[in-house]
This record gives sequence, structure tokens and C-alpha cells, in this order.
Amino acid sequence: MASSLPAAPASATRHFADDLRQRSDTALAALLRARPDLAAPSPSTLRSLAARASSRTSLERALARADALTLQVLEAVLALEPVFRAPPGPDTPGLSTPGPGTPGLSTLGPSALGTEVVTRALGGAADDREAVEAAVHLAVEHALLWDAGQGTGPASSPDLRTSPGLDELLGPNPAGLGPHIDPVPDGLAEAVARALGPTPGPPGTGAALDALLAEAPGGARAILDALAWGPPVGVVPAAGTRPRDAVNWLVTAHLLVRSDARHVVLPRLVGLALRDGHTHRAPHTRAPEPQGRSLPAATADAEAASAALELVRRVRVLRRSWDENPPSVLRAGGLGVRDLRRLAAQLETDEPTAAFVVEVAALAGLVRDDGEAPPSYVPTVTDWDDLDDAVRWARLVEAWLTSRRAPWLVGSRDDKGALRAPLSPDLQRPWVPRLRDSVLGVLAEGLDGETVLAPTAGAVVEVLTWHTPRSVPPASAVEGLLAEMEWLGVTGAGALSAPGRELLPAAASHPADVAGALRAVLPHEVDEILLQGDLTGIVPGRPSRQLARLLERAADVESRGAATTVRFSPASVTRALDQGETADGLLDELAHRSPVPVPQPLEYLVRDTARRHGAVRVGSASAYLRAADPTVLAGLEHDPSLAGLGLVRLAPTVLAASVPAAALHEALRSRGLVSALEGPDGRVLVARRGVTGRAMPAPRSAAAIRMGSGSDVATRTPDPESLVAELRAVEAAARAGARARAEAADVAHSVAVPGGGVPLRGYRVVPSMPAGTGTAQEVTSGAAGQAPPASPASTNGSRTAAPGSGAPAADHEPGPAEDDPGTQHPADGLALLRDALRDGSTVIVEVAGHTGRLERRELKPLNLDGGRLRALDPDREAELTIAVHRIASVLPTSSTP
Amino acid sequence: MPDGPLIVQSDKTLLLEVDHPSAEQARRSIAPFAELERAPEHVHTYRLTALGLWNARAAGHDAEQVVNTLIEFSRYPVPHALLVDVAETMSRYGRLQLAQDPAHGLVLRTTDRAVLAEVLKSRRTAGLVGARIDESTVTVHPSERGHLKQVLVKLGWPAEDLAGYVDGEKHPIELSPTTHPRTPHEKAAPWEMRPYQAQAVDGFWHGGSGVVVLPCGAGKTIVGAGAMARSGTTTLILVTNTVSARQWRDELVRRTTLTEDEIGEYSGTKKEIKPVTIATYQVLTTKRKGVYTHLELLDARDWGLVLYDEVHLLPAPVFRMTADLQARRRLGLTATLVREDGREDEVFSLIGPKRFDAPWKDIESQGYIAPADCVEVRLTLPESERMTYATAETEDKYRLAASASGKKKVVEQIVARHPDDQVLVIGQYIDQLEELAEHLGAPIITGATTNKERQRLFGAFREGEISRLVVSKVANYSVDLPEASVAIQVSGSFGSRQEEAQRLGRIMRPKADGRTAHFYAVVARDTVDQDFAAHRQRFLAEQGYAYRIVDAEDLDGSPAGSTAP
Repeated sequence: MASSLPAAPASATRHFADDLRQRSDTALAALLRARPDLAAPSPSTLRSLAARASSRTSLERALARADALTLQVLEAVLALEPVFRAPPGPDTPGLSTPGPGTPGLSTLGPSALGTEVVTRALGGAADDREAVEAAVHLAVEHALLWDAGQGTGPASSPDLRTSPGLDELLGPNPAGLGPHIDPVPDGLAEAVARALGPTPGPPGTGAALDALLAEAPGGARAILDALAWGPPVGVVPAAGTRPRDAVNWLVTAHLLVRSDARHVVLPRLVGLALRDGHTHRAPHTRAPEPQGRSLPAATADAEAASAALELVRRVRVLRRSWDENPPSVLRAGGLGVRDLRRLAAQLETDEPTAAFVVEVAALAGLVRDDGEAPPSYVPTVTDWDDLDDAVRWARLVEAWLTSRRAPWLVGSRDDKGALRAPLSPDLQRPWVPRLRDSVLGVLAEGLDGETVLAPTAGAVVEVLTWHTPRSVPPASAVEGLLAEMEWLGVTGAGALSAPGRELLPAAASHPADVAGALRAVLPHEVDEILLQGDLTGIVPGRPSRQLARLLERAADVESRGAATTVRFSPASVTRALDQGETADGLLDELAHRSPVPVPQPLEYLVRDTARRHGAVRVGSASAYLRAADPTVLAGLEHDPSLAGLGLVRLAPTVLAASVPAAALHEALRSRGLVSALEGPDGRVLVARRGVTGRAMPAPRSAAAIRMGSGSDVATRTPDPESLVAELRAVEAAARAGARARAEAADVAHSVAVPGGGVPLRGYRVVPSMPAGTGTAQEVTSGAAGQAPPASPASTNGSRTAAPGSGAPAADHEPGPAEDDPGTQHPADGLALLRDALRDGSTVIVEVAGHTGRLERRELKPLNLDGGRLRALDPDREAELTIAVHRIASVLPTSSTP
Repeated sequence: MPDGPLIVQSDKTLLLEVDHPSAEQARRSIAPFAELERAPEHVHTYRLTALGLWNARAAGHDAEQVVNTLIEFSRYPVPHALLVDVAETMSRYGRLQLAQDPAHGLVLRTTDRAVLAEVLKSRRTAGLVGARIDESTVTVHPSERGHLKQVLVKLGWPAEDLAGYVDGEKHPIELSPTTHPRTPHEKAAPWEMRPYQAQAVDGFWHGGSGVVVLPCGAGKTIVGAGAMARSGTTTLILVTNTVSARQWRDELVRRTTLTEDEIGEYSGTKKEIKPVTIATYQVLTTKRKGVYTHLELLDARDWGLVLYDEVHLLPAPVFRMTADLQARRRLGLTATLVREDGREDEVFSLIGPKRFDAPWKDIESQGYIAPADCVEVRLTLPESERMTYATAETEDKYRLAASASGKKKVVEQIVARHPDDQVLVIGQYIDQLEELAEHLGAPIITGATTNKERQRLFGAFREGEISRLVVSKVANYSVDLPEASVAIQVSGSFGSRQEEAQRLGRIMRPKADGRTAHFYAVVARDTVDQDFAAHRQRFLAEQGYAYRIVDAEDLDGSPAGSTAP
């Protein structure tokens, strides 16, 4: 293939690629870091890197992350580009015949489209220059702009160009300015050039326009003004009306151009003149200040502390509840509506909050699917219960910080109308971490020592809109995240709290710091409880862990908050007794922690409950043995030969056994005791074979499930620096042996290779290809034709894949230096097509035909869209449409032998 | 205050640590807007409610004061959401105002048109308001003034009633500086209102209408008399029953310049209408052929003041009648705003906001009511009764447990411990009471006892001629028996808290010799009787009365007249 680098046409793409090539290693590494999609999978050459950087997908991603000022800069450069160039580019086909050409602005005023010009075009004042310069710098670094100057000029005065492909994304009318059309009315270009020049002076654009409009019919100026700030296209008024006359006059004067029968368009230079040389009214140099209430930092911290404690408590309740009663997993995954509702009631909160508690507990690995059939959600075995509140909170918040889950969607319906459930796989959203970081960033802006700012959700969206106008986050997601932060205590009363600040990327905190930050704002632990005669107790602060445990066992909480009010009741005391407390032990412990004597009614309550506790007892047995005469049963209990029966004497005439009735019956018979089987009504049953009881099922043990790692495996990408080094090496090798290898590659591609001994170059054999055919030529051409050029799988430009082996190149690392760099990368071919489209030139296209053979045709591309190329074949005078994936290679016409 | 006496919880309860040095100051500051929910020994619990906050607004407190008070006395940072909520709730009061317009009569005015639009859109206000005068004013049918206020409270936009009151027919009433002797040999003694009573009268008069909350025995009748004297107009007094009506009359004659001839009784037996008329709720709610026959009483005179005794018992029909009395000054008197039927908001909208409140313990510590020692005596039922109880139908269980035969002996023992006291035995079941009366040899008053006989027995008890009296629930309310110092409750109306308060109130009048009052509740162990008792006692404990539980078997051991620990 002859698309070797030195012979490429002098197109925009070429220059852009050259610009990239001339960048320093650090600059390239910065680019790869800023636009990681360029590095994964690794590009093979710098040229394919340039092609990829100007592909629509990658540019869209880059623009989605660009802020409002950067977009303004891009628009301004894009709008000024054609008017700076002389003659005007052929991007206005059909509107006017290229005339003698207006001199470009670069010959009239400022010599280069530099930062100064952009700042002025944006309508910025002198003090905006710094911000604009930063934006320009960033756009260049991200390869959205490039420097068409000498490349060696001072960085402060580059001649900026937009990267190829950007014009498509920013639309035909950047900044609402129409196309650049020749001829331009007299004096306008000069006036605009002066307005953008370093010393704007009279006559201004207004004067130039006035001069042109001196003889215009009435209403002409109004028509221009209406189109001035875009959209630049207007509908032609009906014939015979006064406005129509004005439009006609304006068209004659070249101030408007008829684009078709019904529309007129405002040429770009006229538009610029109307705008006094500006592309924008004013630069959006900085994000709007977030609006909201400001409140004392102490308030936010206190609110955050109580939210954090509440969350930790709720997770504890959740684990306990699911330990006792594990809810089942829905068939599609997730927790059922009824289980969620019940949980919300137990957590004393609403369903969205409960859903969040469930999600965050799962993220922290505290609950999970038990993997049984049918599956249930159960708490995991962890050291959770032994940690203190602050450490527990830190674990939850760390898990949340990297989560990709969107629990705020719980309760909404998906496309199929099904309710989204907590813990369902449906809630995974890859953009959540990025949005979370942005929201945290906005919250961090309001920090100001003693007071903090609590921005409204609308204000946060507004700021984020400035940061990424082309991908505005949905307000519901921002609200959802703000609510999560409030529940977590990352914010308090809507403002970032001190522990929340530790989570900012800038803080780079260790989990211990996060826990420490929370501990600093938590109220002091209190280890005493004021017991009162109405059977309540008050802990005037945050209970210590031991005290909390005691109260959890023995009392019911009535009111929570800065203090805890508990009530002792027969039920709560019974609970404590069930867990092995004794009346004396409980009273001692209470007396120990109470600064006042235990009130008599409480003491009476505990003793009275203990007196009744255990009066009725329940146990499990499988069978029983009863006799009217106690002497019959005497001795059975301790008979060694009956030890396996688990006999226990319940009453003088009743023994219980742990074996089924039939087994007991048999065992007694064999010992010589004549027993009879008895039915539930006490009547003797006729002995039948197979009358057996069923052993009591063992109580379900929910614990003892280890948490798996469960973390997402990140896509492995090489670090930018080493990637840049590789690209440079390829570059050097290419320069060394480009010619010879290019010829060899050409042969390899166009000539059928017999026997399959020659390795296939350039295209990776897709894994689904039938393996081991051995007929290399069919595989070769088929693979070449079928590998989609734009798909990531093939853009890695992997070096080698043995034909017929069917195995994909497993190793993405670049091959040794003798590897052939001359093979065309699909993206390169597309870039050539795009250039030809822009220049209206022809190219040689190799297409895989029906039989899989390559056909070589010279074509004039007309349109490239949606994976299809529409092109004119001048030889056959026919128009044809080719699927892009069938194009094997594209060669410039000039390079054909 | 980092070490303040108050802890503000996010569930809108306020915990006040009583032993804190600035507790008293904090209590006074929060009393106007927070309802005291319970007042046990160490930490008192107050609650912020919408009604309470509106009460405070009505009394002239604004949200800023409330918020500052909370912040000032709170030990921990006050939950932010609560402060926001307080401000929001308080700002709702007074956006709508009922006022007299010189041209259009009674109108509903607003400072916030959106609110007016919202309430007018509600279907509940349909028919209560008339024509729209302008964007922010609408006429109100004078007859619907009460209903409208009631509806507006329900809608969450309570109206401030600035429409004023009719003056009413003038009738001179003064408090007399000395008491008028009841019997010829009693001497006239100088007296004056206690400070808190005077404050209550002031609070009421400045507010226009409203409720005064005072514990039993704290002299609510005197507050009523004070209000009448301040008003100086004809007065309609609504009371719970005839006995109470007579006591009101006696007290008024004793303490004011009114004479017997100026006071009429309007009850089942008498139908007098005089400048001061005392009517019973019962006669007002009597219906014949579906019509309230005695409604004309309300319009019989141009009353300048309507007094409601025991507001918490006000029956629903009287509420409806009260809705039509909105142009007259209204004073409600009660020991507790707790209504077992939960109609507190109707009291607020129809009678008025709370104008005065004082915790029992405070008044007790000032010596105006007697200190009380509350004891629950637990009786273990004999085997046979336990079997009967265990197998009884659910609806019979309480009766069985409450009228356990063993209680007779316990009552006897308790009575024996108080040989020198005036003892009341109170119960629910007539059979049980009759048995007890016979056993103790004491007279009995039940619903079947004639009013004359009741008067005679109460008189004899007051004079000390009889020292034991067995009474049914007819004596729960408004029976003034100042010398009773021991009450033994053998059975109650299930778990009624306000009944417990009333019964305790019977023995709370201060004793001449400063003796401690004793309140015994005898309950059967391990039965529903015990559960109901626990519910009732919670009320006592919450009011700050320590109580002890003793087993009936231990009763002999403890010395008579022992005081509370």
C-alpha cells in the first residue's frame, strides 16, 4: 500500500498530524491522559493517533467534557478560520461561484488567528485574556485546536485552527454565523479586520455598514439586525411586498445571499460586521457562582454528624433485620417492593432512603445475595459490629465514593415499564462517579471558613452546565446525588461538611482521616443514663457503644437525636432476658450507669418480668413417650442402651425424644418395652411401616457467607508516557524503511498469497472467523473486507495475526522495530476520504468485491455518513454507495504509480 | 449555650434537664410555644406542635424569638430542619385574618393572595365564605365564623381572629375582698387571687378568647370568677353536671358580689335564665325529635362571656353550637388539653388558643395544691379466680380482674392505715362499690343517688361528719371535697388518663395542716387491670408524681402515712 507518510497530500489532516508529531512527548502524554479514548486500545502510529483524534466519536467525547468558554473559543476559531484564509474555502458549494476572491483578513489586519484575536472576537475585555488564553491552551493540549503557524513561534501568538472533523460537530453555523461567501461588500472585510486587530480604530464596522446601507430601502437594516445574532437564515418574504424589495436590494448588494428559492442567508463577514467584529456577545470566562443559603459551618457539621450516625444505625438495623428474615432476590435481580416497604418501616424512614441504605450497605459488602436457590439477601460476616461509628461510616462512604449505582432511580420504571428495584443490576450507570466528583466540586466552591454554602440543586446544575454545556447532567441525577450526600452526612443542611471535605479529590485522604474527620464533629460519647419513674431513661448525648448495646437489648427507643430517650416495657425487658440477662444483672448494670438510683417502678418492672419469664417454655422434640405409670418410665432416661434417642424427662409421666416416633418405637421394642404409636388425638394407631415423623428443619443460618471481591475490573491501558515512547519508535522505524516496506505491503494486499506462508498484515483476524482453513487468500481478503475499520476491535492496529490460525493477536504491545508501519490504518483511509470530500478531489479506493477480491477504483467522494460512502466514479460516470467496512484501503490519486 | 439545659431532638421533642442551674429560665422561655408532654423527676419532655407554635404566635411571639430561645438554651446544635420548620409553621398563622370591615361586615383578609386562593379553592370552605371583594379580601357569613376557623386550621392556615367581640349586656360583677360565709357560724375571711390565677385572667383577657390550663385543685373556678369580674357582663357558664353547677354557684356567691338571685341554674331540673346562668352540657345536648330543645338558651341573653368548664370533656354537639358563638368572648378551663378523642384542634379553633398553662408540680411546690404520694397495690389473685380469669371471654376480663374479691381486704387494710384521714373509695362497678360500702360501713354515691342526697353526703363529708365515702365515677369531676386526703381507686374506666388526673385531683386541695395526700390504686396482678393501670400511671409519672408499686402482702408492714420516696 502506497499511503506512505511522506507522499500524503497537503491537507488539513496532514497538517494536524504534523502538528501532533511536532508536539513534545510531555504534550502528547498530556493529550493521551486528557482523552483516554485515544490511548485505548493503543494506536499504532502517530498518524493513526491523529486520525483517531479527529474522528467524530472521539471529538464528541472531548467536546462533551469541554466547558462553556472552551466551546466559545472553538466556535470563534471555527467561525473566523475561513475568513482568515484567502481565498475562502470551498465549503460553500452552490451558493456562489468562486470569484476572484476577497483577501483573507490575515492580509488586512491581524496576521494570525491568535489568542488576542479570539479574546476580542469573544467580546472580552483585556482582563479576560488570561482566561481565554488558558482555554486556548487547554484546547490545543486536547488537540481540539492546533497551531498552523510556523510551529516554532512564541506560544503566545499561535495561528489557531480547529482540528479536522470539529466543523461537523459544531454545525454549519458556528456561533450563529452564516457561511463565508464571496464576494464580500466593499470595506466590510477591512472593517472587521480592524475590529479584530490590535488597535481597533475608525472607521468601525458600523460606519462601513452605514456606508453600504446609505441607499438601502427602508427596513433593510431591520432585516440585517434580525439575522445578526443568528440563526443566519431567513425566509424570503412574499413577492411584491416592501420587505421583499429590501431583501432583493440586500441580495444585490451582497449583504444577503439567496441559498435557495425560499431562503436567504447572512454571509459570515456581514454577520461579523453587524456584530462589530465579535463572534459572541461576551465570553463566559468563569462558571456562575452557585446560589444558595449560606449557613454556619458548625451547623452543617452537626447535621452531618447526626445524619452519619443515623445511617450507621440504619445499616445495623438492616443487617439485623435481614439476618432474622432474609428477603428473597427477585428473578430479575434486586429487592422486591414489599420487602423494601417493610424495611422502610423498620428503618423509620421513607422508601427512597431505605433503598439508599440497602444500596450503600451492599456497596460496602455488608449485605449480599447468599447464592442459594432460591437466593436471598443476607448480611455478610464482617468485623462490622466491632467497629466504632466513625470507622463504620468511613467504610460506607468510601464504598459510595466509587460506586456506579444510581439508587435514586428506584421506584421509577424502565423502558419496559418494570419498576426498578434496589440492588438490581439495572441501576448501574457508568457516569455516576464522574457526576459525583463534579457535584462535590461545586459544593467545595462554597467553602469560606466559618460559613458554608448550601446550593440548591438547580444552582448545581447551572454550574455543571457551564462546565460541560454539551453534556448537561439530568437534574434528577443531581438531586439524587445531593440527597445521597445528605443521607450520608457528606453534606449537612445542604452544605459540604468537614468530614465531607475529606472526600474531595484534592484532599486525597486516607480512610483513617475520613473516620477521624467524622469523629471530630460527633458529639461526645456519654456513658450514663438518667432513669425516671415513668419507666423512661434519657441518655443526654451520644451513647457509648456499651451503653447503646445495653439499651438495644433492654429498652425501646422513643426519640432519637442529640439525646436518646428510651422506654422500658415488659416486652423490652423480656427481650433482654431472652438474650441471657438476669434481673439482677440488668438492674446492676443500669444502676452502674445511672447517676440517680434506679426508680422503684423500674426495679419492680424488671423483677416482675423476670418472675414471669420462663414460666412457659418451648423446646423442640421429635417424638414423645408417655405412660400412665411413672414407674414404667423410670430408668429409661439414663439407660445407656437408649442414649441415642435423646430422651429427656419433661414430667413424671412424659419423656421427649429427639428421634422420630417410629425409630423410638423400634428402639423401645428392641429393649423389650411394649409401646404403641399414638395419633394427634391420643388414639392408638395401627402400626404401619413407614410411619415416621419428620425431623424439625434446622433453623436457617443466614450468616457465614464471605463477601467476594466484586470490584469492577478496570480496562487496562498502558500509561501515556510509555505509549508515547512506542509511537515515537514506530515513527522512527517508519522513516527508516518506509519506502521499501510500503511496496511490500502493497504487494501483500493486492496479490493473492498462495499457501498461507506469508503473514497477514494490518488487520486482525476477527475471532469468529472459521479457523484453520489454510486457504490464505480467501481468508486474507475476507478478513480485510469484514473487519469494521471504525470499530475499536480493529483500530488497535495489532501487528500480526497468523492467517488461518483464527487467534486474535493477544498481545497489544507493539511488535519489534522491523514491523511494517506502511500498512494503512482504517482511520487513515477515512481521513483521506474526508480530505477528498473537503477538497473535491479524487482518490483511489480499494474495495472488497462480492467475491472478496479487491477492486481498485478511482472515485470522487460525495458524502461520508452513517458507515456509507457515496461517491462518483468519473470513469464510468456513475454514482455508487459503498459500505465503509468493505473499503480495504484509500490512496491519494497522486501516489498511484 | 454549649452546656445548656435543653436538648432539641429532631422529632420535635425538647428535653429539659430539671436539675440544671438555668432550667427554670429555660422552662419559662419555652413554655409559650412548647407543650409539656411529661414531667418526671429528672428530664421533662416538651413537644413542638403546630398548634403550640400557633398558640405562641397568637400570644405575640414570633418565629425569631422561638428559634433564638431554642438555640440559646440548647446543649447541642439545634437540627437545622427543625428551625426551618418552626419558622415555616409560625409564618402560616396570621396570613389570613378575620376582621370587621366597615362596609362589608365580617371579612377574611390575607397578606398573601396565593394562600387565599388556595383556601378558597378547597371544597371545605365552600359555602362558608361569600362574595370576593377584591384580590385579597372575601366576605364571610357571620354565622360561619367558627366553622371557617375550624376549616382553616384543618387546612393548615389558621386565621387570626381580629373581628372582635360583641360587648354583651353589661352586668356589674366584682370580686369581693372577703369571702361570704357559707354557714352562719363561719367567719368572713379576707382573700385574694393567687398570683398565677391573676396571670391566667390577664392572659385570657389580652388574648380575647382561649383556654386556661390549671391542675385540679388549683382554683379554676376563681379564674372564672376573675374573668367574669373583668368582663362585667352577663355570663353563660357551661359545666359538666348539676353538682358541679351548684358548686360553681356557691363559689361565685362566696367570692364575688353576685347574689343567689343573680345566678340561674339551667339543668334537667331547673330552667332559670338570669344574668349569670350556669347550664350543664347534658341539658344543652338533650334532643327531642332530633332537635336540640334548649338551643335558645344560647341566645336568651346578649351574653358577654361564655365559660366552658372542663373543656377536655366538651361534647361534640356543644362544639357545633360553639361555632355559632364566635362573636362572644369564650374562656375554657381545664386541667389537661389532652382529649381522649383527639379533638385538640377544635378546642384551638373554636374556643381559642391556650392562654395560660402551669405545670402541676410548680403549683404544688408553691403550696397551692397538696403534695401527693401515689401507690399502686398489686394483688395476687387466688388460684380459683385466676382460673376463672384465664378462661373468661375477652370482654369480661377487665370486669373480672377489676372487681376481684381480694380487693375488699386490701381496701380495708388501707383504710385502717389512715384512721384520721378523710378517705374516698372510687370505682367503676356499682356492685363492687356497694359491696365495699357495706364492708366498710360507709355511705355510697352513685348515678342513682338523688342530687339532694348527693349534696347532703358531700356536705357531711366536707364537714367531717363522715370520714369514709364510696363514690362511683359521678364524682370524677368538679366535686369539691377539700378535706379528702386519701383516695383509693379500686377500678377505673379502662386506661383513661384524664380520669386518673381527675381522681387524683379530688385529693389535691391543700390541706389545712399541710398533710400529704395519698392516692392508692388497687390492681390485680398479671391481668388487664394491671395493664390499664400502667397506662394510667404513666400519666401520673409524666406529671411528676413518683409512684411506688407494693405487693398487697407487704401492705401491713409499711407504716401508715409514709410519704413518697
